[in-house]
Amino acid sequence: MSDLLSLIAHHGYVIIFVVVFVEAVGLPAPAALALIAGGAAAASGALRVPEVAVLAVMGMLIGDSLLYVLGSYTGWSLLGFLCKVSVNPETCILRSAESFYKRGRAALVFAKFIPGVNTMSPPLAGSMKMPFLQFLGLDLIGACLYASAYGGVGFVAHGFVLAIVRDFQEAGRAVEIVVVLAIVGYIGYRISLYWKHRVYRVVPRVRVPELARKLQSEESGKILLVDVRSHGYYDPGAARIRGSIRIEPNNLSEEIAKLPRDRDIYLYCT
Amino acid sequence: MAHLLREQGFNAFVIVGGLGAWRKAGQPVEIVPENDLVHLPTFARKVALRVRQAGR
Repeated sequence: MSDLLSLIAHHGYVIIFVVVFVEAVGLPAPAALALIAGGAAAASGALRVPEVAVLAVMGMLIGDSLLYVLGSYTGWSLLGFLCKVSVNPETCILRSAESFYKRGRAALVFAKFIPGVNTMSPPLAGSMKMPFLQFLGLDLIGACLYASAYGGVGFVAHGFVLAIVRDFQEAGRAVEIVVVLAIVGYIGYRISLYWKHRVYRVVPRVRVPELARKLQSEESGKILLVDVRSHGYYDPGAARIRGSIRIEPNNLSEEIAKLPRDRDIYLYCT
Repeated sequence: MAHLLREQGFNAFVIVGGLGAWRKAGQPVEIVPENDLVHLPTFARKVALRVRQAGR
């Protein structure tokens, strides 16, 4: 934090714009901290309030507009990608779409204050064909609210911010230890997941040329190709292997009842 | 998925590389038919609906 403050004192305008923009495009960046630091710097006279405000808002607008354009060109596949980390990607997509459709306008205004939602709202707006000017207007209001909230905190409480920074420096060693332990814990968790799921690696796999040969042979009647991608077909023009069917992987118990037991089932995803 | 199906007694396999490998090998794909598509809500549809209603 103290490095951020001294950086802001020397290169404040550029730093604030870049950090805010980086967070707006979905990468992990401390935009709220940068705005607080910017507000504190403005209160102490190192930076000017109008420039900080304009650059912060512009960084957010440009970043969000890029995600909006990405969403409008990639359609629902971008949302599918973002929902991959959820427990049930299909439900994530359907609920996100319905929820945003009902509350999209309000969501855009307040999205920046909610982690996760701030990244998904602009591409959702693009995927769902919200008119760009409407999106821009609502995003502008949201960006102004966000910049004012955190910049205002830094401006009003700039003395407190400096005290926090000093305490943070003193607690620096403890914070480093906590961060290292968190990283070690996360790595241990990933290793345990890998070990638990290693049994799934014994499933027989077939390469495309071999499968293509089987489909040309008299075995073809015995083969069923099944698409198990985590989300459904949302975009006109979506493609699948010719002759394949789709089953919903998160609804397996019902889908299993429909599958024939006398055929070889070949599964694929993206 | 394949492992779960095999546990249920199905003869399940996995295609290495998925749809990407299938396309790369030049194997045939098809466009998903209209009745298999899931129509998610869009703001454009709502605008089109308003335009139709205004025209009546």
